Amino acid sequence: MDISNYEKNEYAVELKHVSKIYKLKKKEGEPKGSEMFYALRDISLQIKKGDVVGILGTNGSGKSTLSLVLSGISDIDGGTMAVNGEQALISINTGLNNQLTGLENINVKGALLGFNKKKIQEMTEGVIEFAELGDFLYQPVKKYSSGMKSRLGFSISLALDPDIFIIDEALSVGDKGFANKCLDRMMKLRNEKDKTILFISHSLPQVRGFCKTGLWIEGGKLMEMGPIDTVCDHYSEYVEKLNSMPAKEKKELLDEKFKERLIVSEKKSFWSRLFG
Amino acid sequence: MFTSIKYVLGENLRNIYRIYCIAKYELLADMRDSKFGIFWNFASPAIQVLTYWLIFGVAWSRKPIGDIDYLPWLVVGYAAWWFVQPCIQSGCSAIFSKTNVITKMKFPVSVLPATVCAKEFFNHCCMLLIAFVTLLLCGHGPNFYWFGLIYYALCSFAFVESVSLILSVLTMLWRDVRKLVTSLMRMLMYFSPVIWECHFADSIPYHDILNFIMKLNPVYYIVNGYRDSVFYYKGFWQHPTLTLYFWAVVLCLFAVGCMLMYKFKRKFIDLI
Repeated sequence: MDISNYEKNEYAVELKHVSKIYKLKKKEGEPKGSEMFYALRDISLQIKKGDVVGILGTNGSGKSTLSLVLSGISDIDGGTMAVNGEQALISINTGLNNQLTGLENINVKGALLGFNKKKIQEMTEGVIEFAELGDFLYQPVKKYSSGMKSRLGFSISLALDPDIFIIDEALSVGDKGFANKCLDRMMKLRNEKDKTILFISHSLPQVRGFCKTGLWIEGGKLMEMGPIDTVCDHYSEYVEKLNSMPAKEKKELLDEKFKERLIVSEKKSFWSRLFG
Repeated sequence: MFTSIKYVLGENLRNIYRIYCIAKYELLADMRDSKFGIFWNFASPAIQVLTYWLIFGVAWSRKPIGDIDYLPWLVVGYAAWWFVQPCIQSGCSAIFSKTNVITKMKFPVSVLPATVCAKEFFNHCCMLLIAFVTLLLCGHGPNFYWFGLIYYALCSFAFVESVSLILSVLTMLWRDVRKLVTSLMRMLMYFSPVIWECHFADSIPYHDILNFIMKLNPVYYIVNGYRDSVFYYKGFWQHPTLTLYFWAVVLCLFAVGCMLMYKFKRKFIDLI
């Protein structure tokens, strides 16, 4: 996509009534056919260019699905989505090969991300510097600790230069020093390069410090979108309320929420999927 | 149909360096797995050929085929098969094995079958080296017609790429495809002129129909093409009908593969 498209539009992302449906397996003993499940239901939102959005929500509320949809990896089942500019999901541990050394992995992941030879050569030094792996760079990645792996993965991902960054719980890895370093780097991107950043995290202080706008999804639906502090307050209130509930009541509430997201339909066969 | 072919071709051509890199580092990772590394890329096909030669050539004492001894005849045929078989088999799981990548980053899925083929092409070259050494030892020197091998290697690449395009998508829709293909590959090997010449003698009833059916198998064209170039001083232009038929089949397969790939390119993540 051309960059001018990103510059031209006021909004980086526009979603109108977007839904995403997943198929579920039936429990044993129930009649045949699969159940459908709304991972995202009727989400409409607009994200301004240059905004930094923190996406909040409990586990299974559809945050990661939203990030997959926004990054263009997953297709939507309903509604319309317009993304102005190029988007990239920052994924840390994907594309690293355990057998190969850190240095070789820079090439592997670089190639997976679609860089050409020249670009990989250019970025290698920066990656090595940022990852701070020392002589471990020449060891196979299987010998790395999980923190070191994430350092390498994240450093390579930083070579990406999209208009819209989507970061799914990426900064919650590595030690505190490295997390801060990453956060600093993202801040720099935010302040200097006018990038749009979508940031998914469970760490409220991190989100409060980094984002401008908050976006809270619950049960696949958009609950609130607004200034980060307000949304964070409402979200933490909700989580506390949920935690203070008696176990039985909480379970009932969650079950009800789950049922709301279900759609029952008949089974689609292999052939109908192929030609349908 | 044409948009899908354009899409797949375009994506593959734009990402040639990506394909090369993925194939290269996957091979490298495979080699790092074992202590002897690249030695096995040569040893495993050599052992396979040796087995077939011991059983069919020595134990059952096969007569020379035409005026070519069985061993060189087998080695050349097996070299071709050593490209087709692993490509089709691992082509099935080309997309499935990269699940973690396609769910986590924006990735041109249609290049995955090509990466598998490129990776196996390296093994094919290893096997060809073994074949050349065997040929020289058996007294078959190189001649002009050996350049036909390049053409036939291209043929087989086009064929396996098309087949793995189709199979990789079908495997995503229906996981059993991989198992089915694994079982059918053995059958395909015996119905291709790899270890026997796939020619029914005149004493067998309906021999001309059977021989005709054998020729419909695209692998027949590839394997016999390798042999024609090496032993029989024949170029592909000397059997135009079979050449035309082969490319028609390959183009059809490729078109079907492209259409499947185009249709499901953004659905794979939901099919996992």
